[in-house]
Amino acid sequence: MKKAFILITNITVIALVLFFIILYVTRKSEENNNNVITSYENMTLTAEQIITNYLEDEQHLCDIWANYINRSAQDGAPMTMEQAITFIQKAIVLSDIQGHVIYVDDDSREGMSTSARSTDPNDYTVSYKNIDIFANLSSVSPENGIINLTRAYTNPINGAQSIAFLNFVTLLDSSTGEERDALLMRIEPVKLLSEKLVFLKGEYENVEMSLIDKDGNYIVHGKSLKNSNFFEFYKSYNTVTNKEYNDFVTEITTGTGTMNIKNFKGEDCIISYTSLSSMDVWFLLTYLPASELISDRAFDGILLGTVSAGLLVLLIFNFLTMMSYNRRLAESAKDANQANAAKSYFLSTMSHDIRTPMNAILGLNEMVLRDSEDEKILSYSEDIRTAGNTLLGLINDILDFSKIEAGRMEIINVDYSFVSLLNDLVNMIQKKAEDKGLAFKLDVSKSIPSVLYGDEIRIKQVITNILTNAVKYTKTGSVTFFVDYITIPDTDDIRLKFSVTDTGIGIKEEDLSKLFVAFERIEEKRNRNIEGTGLGITIAQSFLTMMGSHLEVESEYGKGSTFSFDLVQSVRKWDPIGNYEDAFHHSVSERRNYHEKFTAPHAHVLIVDDTPVNLTVFKNLLNRTRIQIDTAESGDECIALCGNKHYDIIFLDHMMPEKDGIETLNEIKELTDSPNASTPVVCLTANAISGMREMYIAAGFDDYITKPIDPDRLEYLLMNYLPKGKIAPASDENENDDYEIPNFIFKIEELDVNSGLTHCGNSESYMSTIRMYLETAEKNARDIEDYWAARDLKNTTVKVHALKSTSRVIGALNLGDFAERLEKAGDTMDIDTLEAELPDLISAYRALARELEPLNDLSETEEEDKPLISPEALKEAYDTLSVFCDSFDYDSVINVIDSLNEYTIPEDEATRYDALKKAVDNFDYDLIPGILSGGME
Amino acid sequence: MKRSFYKKLILPLITIALISGCKKDNSSEGFVPKYDSDTEFSVSIVGNYANFESLEAEIERFSEYYPNANVEFTFLDNYNKTIQTTLSSDDQPDIYFTMLWMKGRSEYEIIFDKAENLSDPSLNIDTSCIRQDLCWTNDSGDLIEIPIFTTSYGMLVNTDIFDKEGLEIPSTYTELMEVCAALQKSGYESPIMGYNGQSTSAGLFHTYAYPMYCYDVMNNPDSLQDLNNLVSSAGEIMRPTLQRFYDFINSGYIDIDKCTDEIENSYDAVIMRFFEGDVPMMLCTGDVISGTAKRESKSDAFTANPFDYKFYTVPVTDDGGFFLNAVTVAFSVNKDSANLDYANEFMRFITSEEELGNMSELKRLITPTNNFTLDKVYQSLADVPEERRISKTKLGLLDVAVIEFRTALYKVSTGELTIDEAVSLYGQLQEN
Repeated sequence: MKKAFILITNITVIALVLFFIILYVTRKSEENNNNVITSYENMTLTAEQIITNYLEDEQHLCDIWANYINRSAQDGAPMTMEQAITFIQKAIVLSDIQGHVIYVDDDSREGMSTSARSTDPNDYTVSYKNIDIFANLSSVSPENGIINLTRAYTNPINGAQSIAFLNFVTLLDSSTGEERDALLMRIEPVKLLSEKLVFLKGEYENVEMSLIDKDGNYIVHGKSLKNSNFFEFYKSYNTVTNKEYNDFVTEITTGTGTMNIKNFKGEDCIISYTSLSSMDVWFLLTYLPASELISDRAFDGILLGTVSAGLLVLLIFNFLTMMSYNRRLAESAKDANQANAAKSYFLSTMSHDIRTPMNAILGLNEMVLRDSEDEKILSYSEDIRTAGNTLLGLINDILDFSKIEAGRMEIINVDYSFVSLLNDLVNMIQKKAEDKGLAFKLDVSKSIPSVLYGDEIRIKQVITNILTNAVKYTKTGSVTFFVDYITIPDTDDIRLKFSVTDTGIGIKEEDLSKLFVAFERIEEKRNRNIEGTGLGITIAQSFLTMMGSHLEVESEYGKGSTFSFDLVQSVRKWDPIGNYEDAFHHSVSERRNYHEKFTAPHAHVLIVDDTPVNLTVFKNLLNRTRIQIDTAESGDECIALCGNKHYDIIFLDHMMPEKDGIETLNEIKELTDSPNASTPVVCLTANAISGMREMYIAAGFDDYITKPIDPDRLEYLLMNYLPKGKIAPASDENENDDYEIPNFIFKIEELDVNSGLTHCGNSESYMSTIRMYLETAEKNARDIEDYWAARDLKNTTVKVHALKSTSRVIGALNLGDFAERLEKAGDTMDIDTLEAELPDLISAYRALARELEPLNDLSETEEEDKPLISPEALKEAYDTLSVFCDSFDYDSVINVIDSLNEYTIPEDEATRYDALKKAVDNFDYDLIPGILSGGME
Repeated sequence: MKRSFYKKLILPLITIALISGCKKDNSSEGFVPKYDSDTEFSVSIVGNYANFESLEAEIERFSEYYPNANVEFTFLDNYNKTIQTTLSSDDQPDIYFTMLWMKGRSEYEIIFDKAENLSDPSLNIDTSCIRQDLCWTNDSGDLIEIPIFTTSYGMLVNTDIFDKEGLEIPSTYTELMEVCAALQKSGYESPIMGYNGQSTSAGLFHTYAYPMYCYDVMNNPDSLQDLNNLVSSAGEIMRPTLQRFYDFINSGYIDIDKCTDEIENSYDAVIMRFFEGDVPMMLCTGDVISGTAKRESKSDAFTANPFDYKFYTVPVTDDGGFFLNAVTVAFSVNKDSANLDYANEFMRFITSEEELGNMSELKRLITPTNNFTLDKVYQSLADVPEERRISKTKLGLLDVAVIEFRTALYKVSTGELTIDEAVSLYGQLQEN
C-alpha cells in the first residue's frame, strides 16, 4: 500500500513536471506560431495591396480608354465601334491585352475585339451571349478609379481564361447613325494576374495564392485548392455543419484573418484571407501547408524526451532504493513483530504467573482480614491488600494496554445500573482519598436515568483511572467527581458529562501533550514516589475513543486539574437515580456490616485446580456459605468425580498439567449418563489477556472467573448458578467463630494454627480435628511400625500418606512434609530411605501427640448445637465417600467426614458415622466401603 | 541443430520470395509510369464541368506516380463555342471534352480533327476494359476519344418502399403494372413520377420510351438511314414504342399533372422530389443520378428519413427493359499539344477499369467499363442481358431523328396526334 502510494506520488510528480514542461513548451510554441501566422497574415495583406494596386492601375488604363472614347461623344463626334477598336488597338502596349467593345443596350452582347479570333484571323467579331459574366452590369460604375471587374471567364476570341476591366462608352451605330451604350472591356489573361500573385520575398516556398469572387468561384487558384469553387472545396474536404459552412463563407467574404482547414489530402493547411481593397467582390486567399508554417517542434520533442527519460531513470532509481529500504524495513518489522509476539507471550505468561501467586497472596490475606482479630496483624494484612491491589492494578494496566495495542480490546454494551456504577467508583476511591486526607466531593445530578446501556466495565475503568490519578497527584484539598447529563432530542440517548477536578499539583502546559503518550510519566523526577506505569490516561483515552468520545484536560500548574469527557449512552429506564449521596451513605453503612450474602449447605461444588493452595483459598473463601466443596487436582480426577456425583457448579482451572481445563470439559460433556450433564462449568483462569473470555465461552464454559479470586464475583457466580432452592439467606451464626483454641496450641512450634484453621474452616472444626488426631496418634504410629516391621511396603506407604494429610490438616506442616517425603520413598520402593528415616518420622509424630496431650485434660462437656443432617444429604455424603474411596482420594474422604462433623447425625446412623470416623482416624480407608455397605468392624 | 538452422534461413527466404512475387504480379497489373517519377510537366484539361471533383481525385492519384506533375482542369465558359477557339489559340489545352452530340456537326470538325489516335499501339493505352460498343472511331478507324462517363435512361427506385410493402422490383411490364396497382392501393397516388417538360424536350416520356425505340431501331438497321433522313415511311418503326407509351400514360399509374406541378426542372427538382421519400419510382437519366449524392444532405426530408435507392431500367416489355448506354463525356488528346507525351501518359493512367470506375463512382455516373460493381446504385445494370444493351454511340441515330421521335411522343401524349397520325407524319412532326 505504502509502496503503491510512493510510486503513485513519484509518478504524479513526474507527470506534473512533464505537464508543466509540455504546457510551457506548448505555450511558447503557440506564441511562436501566432507570431509566424501574424507574419504570414501581414505578408498576405502586403500581397493584397500589390494586387489591388495592380488592379487599380489596370482599371485606370481601361478608364483612360473609355474617357477618350466618351470624350469624342461628348465633343459631338462619337466614335463608331470600329473607330473605338482601332483606337484601343493603338493604345494597347502588351500583346496579351485585348480590348473588346460590345453593345449592352440589347441582349445580343455582340461587338468587336482588338484581336482576331483564333479560328479565323479575319474575324474580329465577338459575342458574349452565352458567357454569363454580366449579371450585375448595373453595378458597373462609369466613375474613374472604381474597379469594375468580371470574374475569370473564357475569352471567346482565343479561349484563354481572362478577366475584364469594364467601363461604359458611348458609340455611334453606323448602321442607324444613333448613339448607343456599349461596354468597353480591357481583357487581361488570368496568367498575367497569376504572375502578380507572388509573395515579395519568396519567404514561403510552397505558398499558393488564389483569388475568388464572392461566390467562391476562383479567379485564379493554386493547384492545392481544388474544385472550381473554393467554398465547394472547403465543404468537400472539411466535415462541417451547415452553420459552420455559412460562418466560414461569411468570415472569408467579410473579414481578414487566418484559419486552419483540411486540404484534399486531409492535411492541415493554413488559409490567410482578405478582401481586395477598393472592391468587395474579390478576395485574396493564400494557402500554405500547416507543416511549413508551424514551427518545427523537434527540439521540444528532444527536450521532453530527455526530461522524461531523466525522470524515468530517477523514478526507477528511487523505486529500487525504496525497494531496498523496504526490504530492510520488512526484515526489521519482522524482527519487531517477533519481538512483539514475544512480548505478548511474555505478557500472557506474566498474567498467569503473577496472577496465580497473587491469587494466593490476596486470597490468604483476605482470610487473615476476615478471621484475625489481632489489630497488628490486621494492619499488616491491610497493607498487603493495598500493595497487592496496586500490583494487580499495574498488571491490569499493562494487560489492557497490550489488548488495545493488539486491537483486540472491544466494547461490550450491556444494560447497567448507573447507581451501581457510581457505587463501585466511590467505594473504590473514597477510601483512598480519605487515607490521604483528601475530601472526596460528589456532585451527581439527581435526574440521571437509573438504567443505561453501555460498557459499564470500561466506563468504570476510565473514571477509575482519572480518579486514581487525581488522588495520587493531590496532596491536600479535594477531589470532586461531577456527573450530569443532557438529553439528545428525538432519541433515547443522553449525553453524560463526567468531570474530575482536583486541587493537586497540576500539569505544566508543555507537559499536557505527554499526558496521552503511553509509558510517559509527567515530571518523572518529582513524582518518582508515585507508583504507576504511565498507562492510565492512555488507556482511558483509548477506551473513550472506542466509545466515540475523548478526554479533555484543563490544568493550572500548582493549582489543580480538571479531566472531563462526554459520553453518549442509551437510556433503558428513565427513572431518576435520585439523591445519590444519600443512597451512597446508606450503602456504606450497610457495607460495614457486610458478611456473606447467603448460605447453601446443601449445595455441592467441585473445584479443580492443580495447585492445592488455590483449592484451599477457594474453599475457605466459601467457608461460611457452608457449601459442600469437593476438590480435584487434575483433569482426570475431576472427570472421575463428575462421573459419579452431581455438582451444582464446577469451577475448572484452565492451565493444568497433562489435561487442561478445556480438554477436561470436553470429556465431561462426552460422559454418558453423567449426573453433571447440565451442571454449569466456570472456568478458573489466571489468564486475563484479551480474547480469553471469548475463547472460554466458545470452548463450552458457562462463565469464567479470574485469579486471584474476587470474592464478590465468586459469590455473584454462585448466586447466579446455584439452584435457587439450595440458597438460603446468611445467618448470624456463621458470622462468629467463638470456639476458643487453647493457648498452648498456639505455642506448639510444629503447629501452624492458621493453616489448620484454613483447612478446617473454623476453630471448632480445627479443635475437633486435633482431638481426633491426638486420639488416633498412638494407634497409627504402631500400625506404621508393624507394617514396616513386616516389610509391608504398600500399607506402610498408605499409612504414611494418611499421616501426611492429617498432619497438614491440623497445621503440622513440617511433619506433613516429612511424611510426604517418605510416602514418595514408599511409592518408589526406596527401602533405604524408609529404613533410615521412618523411625524419625514416628518419633516426631509421637512427639507432636505428646505436645497435644494437654487436650485430654480439658473438659469436653460443652454441648454441641449442630443442625440435624437430612437423610438425603447424609446419603449423598455416603455416596461421595464411596467415590473418593474408589479413587483412593483419602484427603477428600477426610474432608467429607469433617463436613459431616458439622451436623447432628440421626441416632439410627450414629453407629455407622462413628465407625466411619474411627476408620478415617485410624487411616483404615479400606474399611470404609464395607462400613458404608452395612458391615461393621 | 543444422536442420533447425536451415529451417530458420529458408523460411524467411521463401516468405520474401513469395511477397516479392506477389508485388511483381500486382505491379504488372497496375499502372507502370513511363517516365521518371521526378519528371516535371504540365497537362491542361478543359471541359464544360464547372466542378470536376472526380477528375481532381484522379489527378491526385496520378501525382502519386508523378509528384512534380501539374495536371490542371479548367472550366471553359460557353464550351460549345469556346472549345474551338481555345483549340485554335496559342495556348491550346492538352486534353479536352468531346460529346456525342458534337459528332457529325461541321462546326466541331476541328475538335475531332485535332484529336489524337489513342489506339496507336505506340501509346500503349489499353482500352480493353471499356465496353467496346462505347468506343467510337472516326472514318479512319482511329480511336480519337476515351469514354469517361456514360449515362442511361431508366428509373430511380426507392427500394425501402418496396421492402416496406413487400414488393419485388418489377422486371417485366406486367409486373410493373401489378406493382403499380399494389402501390396505389397502399396510398401511392402516382407510383411513377418524372419531369414533364411540357414540350418536345427530353422529359419523362423520352426517358420511358427512348430505350425501346432505340432497341427497335437497332434491330432494324435498314431503317436507320431513312430515319436519319426523315423519310416518312420510316416512322412505322416508332409504332410499337408509341403504343406501349400510350398504354403506359393511360394506365393510371402515372399522374402527369402531378409530375408537372411538383417537379419544376429535369435535374435538381427531380432529385429533391424523389428525396421526399414518397415516390416509389422516378423516371430519370443517369445525369440526374449524378447529382443525388451531393443533394442528400440538402434534403431535409432525406436527412430526417434516409432510404436506399437504386437505378433500374424501366421494364417496358414483358421481356424486361433496355439498357440504352450513351457516352456523356469523353476525353480527347490534342495532337498538337505541347505536352503530348505527358497528356498521353495521363490518358494511359486513367484508361483502366479501376480509375474509370473510381471516377464514375465519385461522379455517380455509369462507368464505361464492364465492372458495374463499384457503385451499388448501378449494380442492377450488370443483370441486363447483352442483347438488351444498346450503345447509342454505335446506333448511329442522328439528333434530327431523335427529335422527331420525341415530338411524336409529346404530341401523342397531349392527344394532339393519334399513334397512326404520328407514325404517318414522321419527318414532318417538328414542322407541324
